[in-house]
Amino acid sequence: MHPDAGELSAADPNSVEPNSTWPGVHDLGGAHGWGRVPYESDEPPFHAAWERRVFGLLGAVTAASAQRPGEFRYALERLHPDDYFDHGYYGRWLAGFELLLAEYGVISPDEMASALNRGANRELQHRSSPIGRAAPTFARDPALLPPDVPVPPPHQRGVRRDLAPEPRFAVGDRVAAPAAPQPGHTRLPAYVVDKPGTVVKLHPAEVLPDSTAHDLGERPQHVYCVGYDAQTLWGDNAEPNTSVYVDLYECYLNPTNGAG
Amino acid sequence: MHDDHGHGHPHHDLDASSPEIRVEALEDLLVEKGLADRARIDATIQRYEHDIGPMIGAELVAHAWTDPALASRLLADADGVVAELGIRGAEIQHIEVKANTPGVHNVVVCTLCSCYPWALLGLPPNWYKSPEYRARVVREPRAVLAEMGLELDPSTEVRIWDSSSETRFLVLPERPAGTDGWPVERLAELVTRDSMIGVARVADPAGE
Repeated sequence: MHPDAGELSAADPNSVEPNSTWPGVHDLGGAHGWGRVPYESDEPPFHAAWERRVFGLLGAVTAASAQRPGEFRYALERLHPDDYFDHGYYGRWLAGFELLLAEYGVISPDEMASALNRGANRELQHRSSPIGRAAPTFARDPALLPPDVPVPPPHQRGVRRDLAPEPRFAVGDRVAAPAAPQPGHTRLPAYVVDKPGTVVKLHPAEVLPDSTAHDLGERPQHVYCVGYDAQTLWGDNAEPNTSVYVDLYECYLNPTNGAG
Repeated sequence: MHDDHGHGHPHHDLDASSPEIRVEALEDLLVEKGLADRARIDATIQRYEHDIGPMIGAELVAHAWTDPALASRLLADADGVVAELGIRGAEIQHIEVKANTPGVHNVVVCTLCSCYPWALLGLPPNWYKSPEYRARVVREPRAVLAEMGLELDPSTEVRIWDSSSETRFLVLPERPAGTDGWPVERLAELVTRDSMIGVARVADPAGE
């Protein structure tokens, strides 16, 4: 199912040092090797009974484990490519649930193994647990993150924050994002790294998932919608008259004079 | 409801890698530990199968088609309009609406995950979450849309919105011809989920 894991992920976490799975298999924008979109108009929300159950468990699992912004996503990003892709979206959720519940000490792999045998009336092979082959969380150096400037208490739930410092960039500014300085969760897609783009809009400020997913504080950032000409991203093979807009956190961006 | 996941029956054709039996084991353990409640799980599923879906976004679109002042506000401050209409729920902390016009076609994707405005469109379809769509639509949107049945004129500008922050996007499709004077309810029935993601047009009711 996964055509070229060697190209998309840095390496197989089974065979190399943990934490070298960077960028992860999830960072798919622009990746080659994928075929026709499995399009079905008017799809139902679920295709199998088990997908319903996985979806229904989201609230219980996150209440018992990952509650910080970006934390559940980072668990998915740390999965082995097989666990990420083989059973689709809800398959990856389920593997992420197992990983988080094990890491939080809620359900151990042994408990899961005995529950699997109990339900199935026979001895099952446990080779498929996603836990042993997922990458651990990367111990990020907080010094490489932007400073954690205090903000007023949030006026609402969620990730939006009122940020006192003025935005560094304005609409029309040319910006570029260098590669993230260290592995871990980020909202910077690899396909825009080092490409010059133009700020087209400011979104509300948000907590920084690169920090919250690693339990290093909120470090809220201004968020910019940055427009990229397709030619800049994909070169001469780009489709004409096309642009791509990506929402980027202020700490990702530098000013640039780059053309494109 | 939970009986339909095969609870209590031997699974002779499945092994431990099957999500069917893994989710069953996980649910049993969470319930035994008092961390999950089957009635609440069932209620959540029911809500997303019946109450939260594309009809919510479709009604918003139909309102915008019939009320130019609301349409302008929707494009400038969708959060305000959404709050005013009492639409609440998951994955709409900040909404941006992008209007299709004869010269501009907007398409939404989330290349890093599968982010999607749940409270406006329900749960995302599989194709939206597929690696094929996430990988390709930023690089070759016209080719992908053509495969999905939407041919765009080369003169039409294509804008792809990658949902990389917590902002969620909704496409305001073009109102089809032949619908002058239609009430909101009738217009809303024309609006498909795929047209609000930007991979389809709203079909002309006359069948053109």
